[in-house]
Amino acid sequence: MAKVEDYNMPDELYYHKEHMWAKVEGDKVKVGLNDFSQKLAGEISYIEMPEEGDEVKQDDAVGSYETGKWLGKLYTPVSGEILSMNEDAEDDPTLVNEDPYGEGWIFEIKMSDSTELDNLMKGEKAIEWLKGEITKHVKEKK
Amino acid sequence: MYLFNLDKLSGQQSMLFFHLLARMGIESLVLVSPKTPLASIGYFQNAEEEVDLEFCKKANIPLMRRELGGGATYLDENQIFHQVIIRRDNPMFSRKISENYKRFSLAVIQTYKKFGIETGFRPINDILTKKGRKIDGEGSGDIGDCFVWVGGILLDFNYEAMSRVLKVPEEKFRDKIYKSMKENLTTMKKELGEIPPREDIKSVLIEKFEKIFGKLKPAELTPRMIKLMENLEKEFTSPAFLFKKTPKILTGVKIREGIEIIYGMHKAKGGLIRAAQEVEKERINEISLSGDFTLYPKDRLEGLEKNLKGKIRKKSLLNSKIEEFYNKERVQTPGVNSEDFLKAMKVEK
Repeated sequence: MAKVEDYNMPDELYYHKEHMWAKVEGDKVKVGLNDFSQKLAGEISYIEMPEEGDEVKQDDAVGSYETGKWLGKLYTPVSGEILSMNEDAEDDPTLVNEDPYGEGWIFEIKMSDSTELDNLMKGEKAIEWLKGEITKHVKEKK
Repeated sequence: MYLFNLDKLSGQQSMLFFHLLARMGIESLVLVSPKTPLASIGYFQNAEEEVDLEFCKKANIPLMRRELGGGATYLDENQIFHQVIIRRDNPMFSRKISENYKRFSLAVIQTYKKFGIETGFRPINDILTKKGRKIDGEGSGDIGDCFVWVGGILLDFNYEAMSRVLKVPEEKFRDKIYKSMKENLTTMKKELGEIPPREDIKSVLIEKFEKIFGKLKPAELTPRMIKLMENLEKEFTSPAFLFKKTPKILTGVKIREGIEIIYGMHKAKGGLIRAAQEVEKERINEISLSGDFTLYPKDRLEGLEKNLKGKIRKKSLLNSKIEEFYNKERVQTPGVNSEDFLKAMKVEK
């Protein structure tokens, strides 16, 4: 797993510009919030997930979460049909903080167009992007 | 970045406007007050659990769910809302959300200072006076492509209306909330003895926010915006949105950072025990106990409350205080023991 400064970034995942990750297994895509975003946002108190069967389009806001009086949005990295949500994370949203790439996954989607993966980032490209985000949101603001 | 220096809008519109600007992606500072009172709940709150809907209906106070975090609030013309809408690709925005609060609060702190009130930012979202009283509470959220940060200068505050708007598990707890707010929430009127002219406060706010965002371009509400806001109002006041079920469970009311009212309930063998405590840094400032359990002699419950007041919420300590009460007052509570009281008080360690 790559680590960019303090933030974990598994190599095998795709990353969306709104800090969501996507794990592709055939036409199924598991989605969650990346380590950088959960660390900066702080402890998540509530999470509202998309509903099973929802048809969603790439980049859509499909859910919300609250940390420290801030309401953040969850975006979908690809289009398709929502297959399932992580009910454990809905009951205990701190799972997203504790294990963002594992038990803290958020929803699973049946991808309708795999060419959309080209709009996401992976490997070196994702690392370079995250370095830029760290500079923008952490270093320059210190 | 635009400046909408508005006077007063209807209660709902004073909140809807920033939602509209954010959805339209228009970066702005909005200064506005609600013409008529309004109760507002955070995105994750259940309206029926947090707000006394019957009272609001009788008092003609509309309710609105905002697309921001935080708790239930009562809003009226004695507050000047400062609403910042910036795009998330604006370099001023930080994904480290606490940074935004700290940076933008500076304009409010400097405004209060200009009028002789020394304040400071207290994470997560409060501005407190030097005496530790809250004078501005803030909330934020992502709407559309924007980040929205809002708060309100408190010119004066209707403590009674606020304590009436909130739903409480039992009426006797309402007075505790009222007293706690009166003690911990202050206003310009309380601090200065009078309210400075509204326009003077707004001028200073603009000057201080311009130090952060640069020169703001004055703008006005257009007929198109009003029309769009009316459409938005339909969406926001629809029962489906207003009364949607959310995962949040009512556990108490945050008065200010560091002070909260904690509600608890426990079904013991001998009956139901309800507890409401005002807690400051784990110390019980105030406590109210009630329920349908039996206590002989009946009038001794106050003695137990007195024994627990001022104590740290530590299981061993509170247990000994409850036992002390039983021995001293010679009371009997069939089917209810000290452990049951601690469960109702949510004391676990």
